[in-house]
Amino acid sequence: MIGISPVSVSHYLLVGAVLFVTGAVCMATKRNALGVLMGVELVLNGANLNFVAFGSKYLRAESLGLDGQLIALFVIVLAAAEAAVALAIALNFYNNHATIDVDQANELKG
Amino acid sequence: MNLHELVSQLIIDTKGSVSGGLFSLPTADSSLGVFAPELCLCATIVLLLFIRLFKGGSKVDLFWVMLIGTGLALVASSPWKHLGSHPPLPGSLAAVTRMEIFTGMLVYDPFTVYMRSVLIGFAFLFAVFTKLSGIPDREDGADIYTLVLGSTLGMCLMASANHLLMVFMAVEMASVPSYVLAGMLKGRRTGSEAALKYSVYGAGAAGVMLYGISLVAGLLNTAHLPTMAAQLAERLPGMPSGEIMVLALGGLLMMVGLAFKLSAVPFHFWCPDVFEGACAEVNAFLSIASKAAALALLVRVAIGFGAIPPVGIEPGSRSVAQQHAPNETVSLNHSNGGLFALADEGEEPTTASQSHTGHAEGGDEPNASAAAIDGLAASRTFMAKLIAFLAAITCTFGNLAAYGQTNIKRLLAYSTIAHAGYMMMSVAAFLVMAGDAPLQAQDAIAALAIYIATYVFMNLAAFAIVAFLRNAMHTEQIADYAGLIRRCPLTVICLSLTLFSLVGLPPLSGFIGKFAIFASLVDGYEVSVSAGHPAGFLMVLLVIGGMNTAISLFYYLRVVKVMTMEEEPADRPPFVYPEVSLQGAFVWLVTAPTLLLMLNWNVLSEWAHAATLYLLAAA
Repeated sequence: MIGISPVSVSHYLLVGAVLFVTGAVCMATKRNALGVLMGVELVLNGANLNFVAFGSKYLRAESLGLDGQLIALFVIVLAAAEAAVALAIALNFYNNHATIDVDQANELKG
Repeated sequence: MNLHELVSQLIIDTKGSVSGGLFSLPTADSSLGVFAPELCLCATIVLLLFIRLFKGGSKVDLFWVMLIGTGLALVASSPWKHLGSHPPLPGSLAAVTRMEIFTGMLVYDPFTVYMRSVLIGFAFLFAVFTKLSGIPDREDGADIYTLVLGSTLGMCLMASANHLLMVFMAVEMASVPSYVLAGMLKGRRTGSEAALKYSVYGAGAAGVMLYGISLVAGLLNTAHLPTMAAQLAERLPGMPSGEIMVLALGGLLMMVGLAFKLSAVPFHFWCPDVFEGACAEVNAFLSIASKAAALALLVRVAIGFGAIPPVGIEPGSRSVAQQHAPNETVSLNHSNGGLFALADEGEEPTTASQSHTGHAEGGDEPNASAAAIDGLAASRTFMAKLIAFLAAITCTFGNLAAYGQTNIKRLLAYSTIAHAGYMMMSVAAFLVMAGDAPLQAQDAIAALAIYIATYVFMNLAAFAIVAFLRNAMHTEQIADYAGLIRRCPLTVICLSLTLFSLVGLPPLSGFIGKFAIFASLVDGYEVSVSAGHPAGFLMVLLVIGGMNTAISLFYYLRVVKVMTMEEEPADRPPFVYPEVSLQGAFVWLVTAPTLLLMLNWNVLSEWAHAATLYLLAAA
């Protein structure tokens, strides 16, 4: 495959993995709730890239097929829905606490 | 395959038969026919949202809509018909065996029937509970009930997922409304914090899980769980170590998402905080429905990675056969596959079932399937050890952390974590036995089903009492419950019974569930010894479970002691708690099964065993 085409499935996977790791680091280090949510989006899109690459029949002889592309479409919609809900919750938190710093969410512990 | 055939196959899959025009009713063995409970929930959601648009609609108490909707859904799922002692004759239209519906996305088998009956039945009780506790008020009713039903719908899909896309979608459908529910009391600082924590952790866990799914699906070239098992069985023995690493990584990442839903250690951080910040009604929902669905999903995924399910029937095949030969009983041996497998180019223009059976590597031949199951042994052992390890630390950590809690909701949150650990033990036992003794393996899942059923009533009773006491006393601190036995003895007795049952003391129902699960661990060990590969970790698990039961006795008893032995505080503000009321009746209603189940639990046991019949192919 690599001989025929310069780009193989592993290149896509590499980009996907970079996106995933970036997103995971972003989720772990960002103190702003919106930053954390951006990290989640990066992780979801890293996974999506994997699905599309695995689903493409031009990259591998035996592939995930159309399932891969369709999962990617569904995930895009779900990510949007999840982001909408999470942003509304962040706004509600801001109304009550006047901040969206996740470190300030420390009233519940024990 | 041309478009016409494709469309007519889809119509048969969805509605059961092509004849009868576009608007004919789906037959009882079609995808839509067996999906009726979920459709009822969908209709109720739409009705809840739209009823206020009409004149006079705002006067309607939406509680009744919710009650009737869930009631109809429960009737549609009718566990008494499918799991009872007189199920429909095998081969008849309504008989439940294993059927993959909607072109293999979901699976409909007795376990689906059982789990969704538990979930919908809980939603029904939950409606009554919220009506009596007064949260939500009339204005919020539409929002809260919509969220609860939407989440329940997602949980029903979790219990019947048969495709990795459905696994992810169902988890999201169940989670996203729960995030909002956690923060449903507006203007509460703690509520908004709980919702933020839940949504941030939840979104992160879902993202990680999706990445794991992408690795697994990409490596195995399929996202359809039974095909995945077949592929694994075929390829695992000779798989290069690099691919095995990727597969294990994908599996572990998927487990993160599942462990989050199960609130298993180390992904349990959200649970105590969310439980403390959210109101007791939402806690009841999260601790019961969400956990039951997550366990069902764990079973489905474990089977997807570790065992080849029996070959089922195709949607519509029975009605088609009946049309052709109405007097014959038919049994068709076809498994159907993903919709999109059909559309792939390069496949022979055969029917869906044939092309897929080619993929699934001989579900029809017993020899081939026995060899295939052996190929899965490595994957099963890996998962069994992983789940056993998670179960052990979850259970121990939950019980130890519960010890120092002062808030009753937080204490119950840790108790919920510990119970998730007990319930996961049975899945580990299931995986150990799945290869050598399918029937006993199914009994392990039956033990889980029994535990879930008893757990519904224990936790519902506990949270109902917490909610009603909060309405009367405006406090959720354990210390404020001091001397309650003098004020409301009946309620204190109910709460004490529930707590003793959560410990697992006989003769309460918690004992039955715990005993069944521990028995399945012993079974698992014996089976593994007789098969020649002793799984000693199951006995370790049994010891850990037993020790945890002893630890848990202390903190549950402490609550009982505070309520009964301690003096009433002199500065307690006056409060009224009517014991003889609808609330009191509800509390007794949900405590009664805990108390009385020991008298006759044959029915429950029978249902639970019927529920697990078609999970594994008989060896």
